[in-house]
Amino acid sequence: MISLITNTVHQITPEGIIDRYPNSYNHFVLPFVIGMTFILVYLLIGLIRILYHLSGEDRLKLLKSLINPKTAWKNIKDIFCDCLLHTKIWKRKPLLGYMHSAIAFGWFLLIIVGHIEVGLFAPRHLSGLTEGSLYYPIFYRFFIWMNPAHETLRGSVFFFLMDLILLYILSGIGLAMFKRVRSIALGMRHTTKPSLADRVALYCLWLIFPLRLLAEGFTADLSGGGFLTRPLNWVFRAFFGNELNFLPTWWAYSICLGLFFLAMPFSRYMHILTEPLLILFRNAGLKVRKPRKGFAEAEIYACSSCGLCLDACPMNTQKKNLKYSSVYFIRFLRRRNKKKVNEIADKCLMCGKCYALCPVGVNSPAIRRAIRETHNNSIKSDYSFMDTYAGSAENSDKKNKILYFAGCMSHLTPVIIKSVETLLKASGEDYEFMDRDKGICCGRPLMLAGRTDAARQTIQANTKIINDSGCSILLVSCPICLKIFKEEYSLKGIEVLHYTQLADRLIKDGKLKVSKSSSAIVYHDPCELGRGCGIYEEPRNVLKAVAELKKASKEKDESICCGYSLGTITLDEKDKAKIAESSVSSLMAENPDEIVTSCPLCYRAIRSKAEVPVKDFAEIICENIEKQ
Amino acid sequence: MKNNILVIGGGPAGMEASAALSRMGYNVILAEKEKSLGGHLAKWDRLFPDQIPAKQVLDSLLEGIKDVKCFTETDVNSINLLDRSYNAMLSNGITILADAVLLASGFDLFKAEKKEEYGYGIYEGVLTNADLEKAFKEGKTFSPAPMAIGFVHCVGSRDEKAGNPACSKVCCATAVKQAIETKELYPDANVYCFYMDLRMFGRHYEDLYLRAQKSGIRFIRGRVSEVSETADGRLLVKAEDTLSSKPLKVSLDRLVLMAGMRPSKAGRAVGHQLNLTTEEDGFFSSADNLLSIQRSKLPGFFYAGACTGPKTLPDTLHEARSAAMEIDRYIKENFRK
Repeated sequence: MISLITNTVHQITPEGIIDRYPNSYNHFVLPFVIGMTFILVYLLIGLIRILYHLSGEDRLKLLKSLINPKTAWKNIKDIFCDCLLHTKIWKRKPLLGYMHSAIAFGWFLLIIVGHIEVGLFAPRHLSGLTEGSLYYPIFYRFFIWMNPAHETLRGSVFFFLMDLILLYILSGIGLAMFKRVRSIALGMRHTTKPSLADRVALYCLWLIFPLRLLAEGFTADLSGGGFLTRPLNWVFRAFFGNELNFLPTWWAYSICLGLFFLAMPFSRYMHILTEPLLILFRNAGLKVRKPRKGFAEAEIYACSSCGLCLDACPMNTQKKNLKYSSVYFIRFLRRRNKKKVNEIADKCLMCGKCYALCPVGVNSPAIRRAIRETHNNSIKSDYSFMDTYAGSAENSDKKNKILYFAGCMSHLTPVIIKSVETLLKASGEDYEFMDRDKGICCGRPLMLAGRTDAARQTIQANTKIINDSGCSILLVSCPICLKIFKEEYSLKGIEVLHYTQLADRLIKDGKLKVSKSSSAIVYHDPCELGRGCGIYEEPRNVLKAVAELKKASKEKDESICCGYSLGTITLDEKDKAKIAESSVSSLMAENPDEIVTSCPLCYRAIRSKAEVPVKDFAEIICENIEKQ
Repeated sequence: MKNNILVIGGGPAGMEASAALSRMGYNVILAEKEKSLGGHLAKWDRLFPDQIPAKQVLDSLLEGIKDVKCFTETDVNSINLLDRSYNAMLSNGITILADAVLLASGFDLFKAEKKEEYGYGIYEGVLTNADLEKAFKEGKTFSPAPMAIGFVHCVGSRDEKAGNPACSKVCCATAVKQAIETKELYPDANVYCFYMDLRMFGRHYEDLYLRAQKSGIRFIRGRVSEVSETADGRLLVKAEDTLSSKPLKVSLDRLVLMAGMRPSKAGRAVGHQLNLTTEEDGFFSSADNLLSIQRSKLPGFFYAGACTGPKTLPDTLHEARSAAMEIDRYIKENFRK
């Protein structure tokens, strides 16, 4: 056994560890070193490119957020939870979460613990490039010989730890292989079709850890090993006899690592390195400005192509729509396939479910909107007539006054307007109806269509009317309006409320008294209200007070879009009807007597498909107002 | 031996076909789900284009089926094809073995409340063509006398969003007829018709249209976009006048929605049991849309009337008589050798 060790300078540490090679080098490390160097250079160039395309303002924001201790702590927490532990996936699909965290967190631990081990037992290999610090910790077990007579407790703990971590990763890899065959077992109905680079990287990733186990198993009698590698070594010796077999497995291990790093920038696995950057950007409060550059580029490369958005997308009740999913949109965008990108950008309900369920948090609806902006904004419209419209400033004394903006869609569903007015009167609120007779669109549909300039004009006109009215609360009955009023309008000192929020407040304040009926109802979360504005609890609080509230099979941030969203104009009626049907079937999971929603578009869509009565949120409250 | 023929649906098509078949010497059994025969005809006051009272037509149809066994308030609980006859179990407990079946299940009126923006069921002033006809029939008048009345054509017809891209064929003429009758009843009122195209294809229909124009009814080419309520409880109707390319706003006291034709629910239930196919519009598909509209894809199963798409009353009656001939031919070819 000693004959295998080249007899030059042996540095004997107190633990009896000896370097087997002069300069700690062997040719097999080359593939790894090439791959690693490539990816590091690629990463550096990519980072510079992305930072270069950020606007000056955004760069400053980023810098400030990095210094700010609060965001810095959030950054660390998010990177740890999202990139390593994958807590978002754990919450929804535990087995899938285990798989991801086993590979990511396991690999991370392997690197960290490996480096600590080298730091403790062969510290000179961690300082400077001369002693092979780039590769030495990775192939540590190859380069050393440990005198079994001098094995210490400290050393054994590391042997045990390293084998345990490897086993953890291997369990994840095993699940990943199983997922390729039967994804539904891990909670995924559809998975993405991998590209060529994806395949290369995928197979390399599958091989890396089994090969490491084999390689360390072969050398376990020289380097020492834990509960996995040592028994493996006995088995190998019993079968192969000669220990010289081990070099090819170390070569294979190094080649797989090298190939993985070479394929990485062209494959989905680039997300491993880009996701932390995306987290920094997001926590700094940056937004998508250009569809392919700067922040968007970070998002594009952070997409892990996991395909969770395939099951999330409400359009995918029909298999033919799979190709419009966010994962393929991002892939085509990454390949700069303009034609496909433009087509897919338009075919989207903008319901935001893919964003809500994305484990990385890629805001693809925002990127789609940015794409729409590039090709829809060239149409010139004349909105000059809007300046002639004067707001209704009747009375001057208007403290605690509500200004009600119904919006175009509520006007097409008169039952909502009627119920909202009844509700306001019943609670004795002083209100003014901003668009009873005529009004200007809130601008959100134009915004969604990418017609940002046109939207700005309507926003400007409405802002003037609202600010001049002197109201303190702007009440809307349409979540589409709500979102844009909250995000794009600068309304000084005016609180924007959805009628579900106001009703909740009125009941809590005792201004509105309701009684509970025996009816069992289910509530449909409109996309723009739930995922768009984060309002889930207020409507439920109120509904629990007026009826027995049942659950839908998918609700809150997983709620299925009704299909009649204003986000798309390229879906035809049949496609929309299919989506509405799937939304209704989710709502009917517990056989409620009635369906309630709080969006005029959802109301119409669900009414067209549901077998049970469909009511508007305000309508059902009005039915249950306590008579005095 | 008299062959049994089951006729499902006691509207004009079912009645006229039953009369013809019974004259040919068949044993006809007519099943009608409602209390009385006549279908939509029984609910109508006067008919276009000549404003003949519907009752007069209904009475002569009833005269023809004196020898027919009629079961009213009777549903077809189950029906299946045996060797070459149909076994039908009716809700009144009677089982019929029929050598041929004629489906004359007609149409249901489009549910006008589905067009939310017109406010049917929300505003009192909004009614449908059927509601107005009922008021005429019962001799009810609106009080106080309305000053302005609007008619909206194509409600639930030629409207993809409402799930029906097809034309319902009869609403244009009905709207013009009802507009004239309304104007006669309230001569001082302004009467408006909001239309997309006027499809006055039949004999004398165009005369009706001319009469309407002469009597001062205003025809506005454009769809109504939304209806709201004014402070004094009137209806504020927003529409587009596509001829002058301008948006339009008018206050009305009554708005009549010309609800279109949808396949009848009861008819579909029968079709479902026999796996009869429907076309995209939801109406049954015939063996051939030109040569044999009356034949279905099943042997001995026939159609008449609006169950294969919207039809006017004369069309329906022609179809009923030709279905009787088809059935006669089928029985002779298959049962009398």
